[in-house]
Amino acid sequence: MFVKFLFLISTLLTLAGAIGVVAVKNIMHACVFLLASLIGVAGLYVTLGADFVSAVQLVVYVGGVVILMIFAVMLTGGDKADFFNKFGFEKVSAMGNKKTYLVGSAVLIVFTLSVGKIIFNIIDLKSSKDPQSYVSTVEQLGHLLLTDHVLAFEASSVVLLGALIGAAIIARPNRGVK
Amino acid sequence: MISLSSYLLISFFLFLCGILVIIARKNIIAILLGIELLLNSAALNFVAYSRYTAQNLDGHIFALFIIVIAAAEAAVGLAIVIRFFQIKESIHIDDASQLQS
Amino acid sequence: MDYTVTSVAPIILLPFLAFVINSFIVKKFTKVAIVISCGAIFTSFLFALRIFKNFVFDVYSSGYHVHKVFNWFDLSYDKIPFKVDMGIYIDNMTAVMLLMVTGVATLIHIFSTFYMQHDARYGRFFVYMSLFTSAMLGLVLSDNLLSVFIFWELMGFCSYSLIGFYYEKEGAGNASLKAFMTTRVGDVFFLLGILALWSVVGSVRFVDIYSAIASGAFSNHFVLGIPLATFAAFCVFMGTIGKSAQFPLQVWLPDAMFGPTPCSALIHAATMVAAGVYLSLRMEPLMQLGNLKVFIAYVGAITAFGAATIALIQTDIKAVLAYSTISQLGYMVLGIGVDAYNASFMHLITHAVFKACLFLAAGSVIHSLHDHHTDSHVQEMPRMGGLRKKLPFTFIAMMFCTLAIAGIPFFSGFVSKDRILGEALIKAFHSKVYIIPMLLGFAAAFLTAFYMFRMMFLTFFGEPRDKDLHHHVHEEHISWNQNIPLLILSVFTLGVFYSGSLTGQGEVKIFSKRYEWFATLIEKPHLENFKDYERQPFGFSDQKSKKVFEQSIYDPTHGLEEEEAHHAHQTHVFGAILSIIIAFSGVGLAYLTYIAKKIDPRMWTSRFSNWNEALENKYYMDWFYIEVLIKKVLLPFNNLVSFFDMGIFDRYAVDGMEKVNKTLFTGAKWFDNLVIDTSMVDGTGASVKLMNVILRTIQSGKIQFYFIVIVLVLASYIWTLNIH
Repeated sequence: MFVKFLFLISTLLTLAGAIGVVAVKNIMHACVFLLASLIGVAGLYVTLGADFVSAVQLVVYVGGVVILMIFAVMLTGGDKADFFNKFGFEKVSAMGNKKTYLVGSAVLIVFTLSVGKIIFNIIDLKSSKDPQSYVSTVEQLGHLLLTDHVLAFEASSVVLLGALIGAAIIARPNRGVK
Repeated sequence: MISLSSYLLISFFLFLCGILVIIARKNIIAILLGIELLLNSAALNFVAYSRYTAQNLDGHIFALFIIVIAAAEAAVGLAIVIRFFQIKESIHIDDASQLQS
Repeated sequence: MDYTVTSVAPIILLPFLAFVINSFIVKKFTKVAIVISCGAIFTSFLFALRIFKNFVFDVYSSGYHVHKVFNWFDLSYDKIPFKVDMGIYIDNMTAVMLLMVTGVATLIHIFSTFYMQHDARYGRFFVYMSLFTSAMLGLVLSDNLLSVFIFWELMGFCSYSLIGFYYEKEGAGNASLKAFMTTRVGDVFFLLGILALWSVVGSVRFVDIYSAIASGAFSNHFVLGIPLATFAAFCVFMGTIGKSAQFPLQVWLPDAMFGPTPCSALIHAATMVAAGVYLSLRMEPLMQLGNLKVFIAYVGAITAFGAATIALIQTDIKAVLAYSTISQLGYMVLGIGVDAYNASFMHLITHAVFKACLFLAAGSVIHSLHDHHTDSHVQEMPRMGGLRKKLPFTFIAMMFCTLAIAGIPFFSGFVSKDRILGEALIKAFHSKVYIIPMLLGFAAAFLTAFYMFRMMFLTFFGEPRDKDLHHHVHEEHISWNQNIPLLILSVFTLGVFYSGSLTGQGEVKIFSKRYEWFATLIEKPHLENFKDYERQPFGFSDQKSKKVFEQSIYDPTHGLEEEEAHHAHQTHVFGAILSIIIAFSGVGLAYLTYIAKKIDPRMWTSRFSNWNEALENKYYMDWFYIEVLIKKVLLPFNNLVSFFDMGIFDRYAVDGMEKVNKTLFTGAKWFDNLVIDTSMVDGTGASVKLMNVILRTIQSGKIQFYFIVIVLVLASYIWTLNIH
């Protein structure tokens, strides 16, 4: 019961957040809506019994990535003005205008049609599998990370290192001798 | 109970929203937001399948790594955006259409 | 070396070479050109002299001839032969003719250096003269009708050029064209005759024609119901009518007097007009076969008489001589018609000599009568008179020639003319049909004597009618180019050179036994000699070496039987006496009229005013030709033909073609503009633009666009995915 309730709220949050990211004009609002959406996804993870993943999602994604986005918005002054493009024939608003949404919708329709062809054949909302019990997955995940997926683990550490250094270098304040 | 299909639908919907954001928005950071949505839908998909079909934790692992990579990519991407802003004084995607400025 | 090369070829080639050289250098080096021209013809005379000596003194045979054929061009292919040959045929007649032509031409050339010396186109005259003499000599030497025709036409062209020499004179251009066109009419028939002969004989060589006649190849060939021989003979004779100014084509010769007098002397007295008679003489067997002799006799007689009558009232001295030429040519043709082959040819030669001399003397007279008021030379006899004392040498020469032409005994003209008239008498006694030509011949002899002496009396005797003109005439001195040619020519008007006897009959052994050389040597082509001649088609080369010919002996009976010969001799004597009487009576009448002034010519003109008018209008022949024939017949026909050509054919065919072309052009232009330009030319540009646009969008650098593409491609992958 609790699961269903959680599922419903999380779904609503996710979907509303997604729609919000799409629709709102203000970039700050969009970031907050993404935040909400990601929190909803975390709740969905819970209903799926992926407790560790949900926790990591909340910590890293919500508390790290989106905050980072907000920092970037602050730094580039996006919260204040609605940017227009400097070059090109017509001034397109940074948040998009009707034409861009139209184009996007068209692409969406195409995509939906193609993917939907598959999805709507296999959708079976009524059947419900035998839900497993909810167990803690932390221990098992840890075990897996260091045995089956140790390569990915180590590699991801390298990636993070690279990202760290890269980001630091790219965003350095003053460039030395080029 | 909650079927697999509902999770798939949710992830599909998130995916569509992500595509729409990327195409429709012109702000670079908004595009990065859309990318996040895409990644999340993928991760949700993985986890849902791992619970309902695979019954092991491979999906979880993958979702973890998705999150890790997304974080790294967001960091680097935003660094680039800031750098771009320092040079071009604009965060409009159309201003970023030339390879060499 | 070959006889042809050593003796004959230089005769033609030297004047021709002179023509070629002179036509280039005459402007700059006029004197040199004249020397070349005169030298060439004189050298030809020397070669002709050599041939004459060879024929007359060395080989005294009437059958002797030299015939050399050489190939002109050869277009044979496989078995079909087509070789066209030219050749040289020399017999006694040719030898005599060559001598006459070259001799007279040389003297005329020398005279021309005097006569034309003040003329602006002094040198060009000699260019034409050289060309003319080479053409005439080529004609005399040729052995086939084709080359005769070629040289015939060449001479026609020279005549045209020379008559129109003074092209600033008003009538000269018309006169030259008239001469050319009138002889052209004759030449068309001549060509037709050549073709007719070719069709039967297969060749146009004289010897081939003779052999064909002898072997009877002409029988059973008919053209439009007429026997082919008659048709061919008539056509060839038309050539003679045209060229030798016989009736009805004589209208060009009086107008030809527009040309310079030496040209008149050479062309229209001695050589070109004689070429027609020469042709008829060569073709005489054909005329015999075609039974054309009566027609020929009539034509000749009418010409002789008609021209003599017109000459009666002429006042221009050259006009008198022109009509006298026509009249004497009529005599020659009459001679052919009455079977007086030898006499006709003799008259040709003698006439050439004295007529040339007459013309040159007239030229001398004209040249000396210089009218200062109009700055021209006087040709009208009413303004002359009493020039005997002023121009003695010209007077002597002219007197000799006039005596010759009038038929006074001991002169050459008498010999030849009397023989013709004698033959005419014989023929008239034999058949009634020859009576009229005979009568006309004698009447013309009377008139000839009259008007020639009229001319002499009016010019040289009596009181000068134009005192001012007479006063300015310079006294004549002996000069190498004014008098000497005249005197030389006048020497040859004596009869002794041609025949020893008074009447030209009987052989007179005065110095040697070869006195009757002319009558002996020049004979009709003996057809039986040619009968066995291997006739070869026109295409094979033939080399006849000098065979051995037996010497001819003078036959007083001319091959006739004893009785007939005696009869002929008597008739000849009768004819001779008759012509002597007629000649002297003519002279006497002229003397009475113009010297003694007993008869007044004005009385005659008023009494016979109609006749006078007819004579003055030349029997209305010019009027007939121009008004009736040309304006009323030929011009409308010409208009009709040109209507078809211009009006119909040109309009539909040519303009129609133009319209079709225009339509095609417009269509093509439209097609080109619309289809090709638009689709292909502009299309190429448009396709490049399209590519440009596509590439521009693809490589725009817009990240979102790339993303759209990615999504769409992904959708396409998923679409094609096969699940289950």
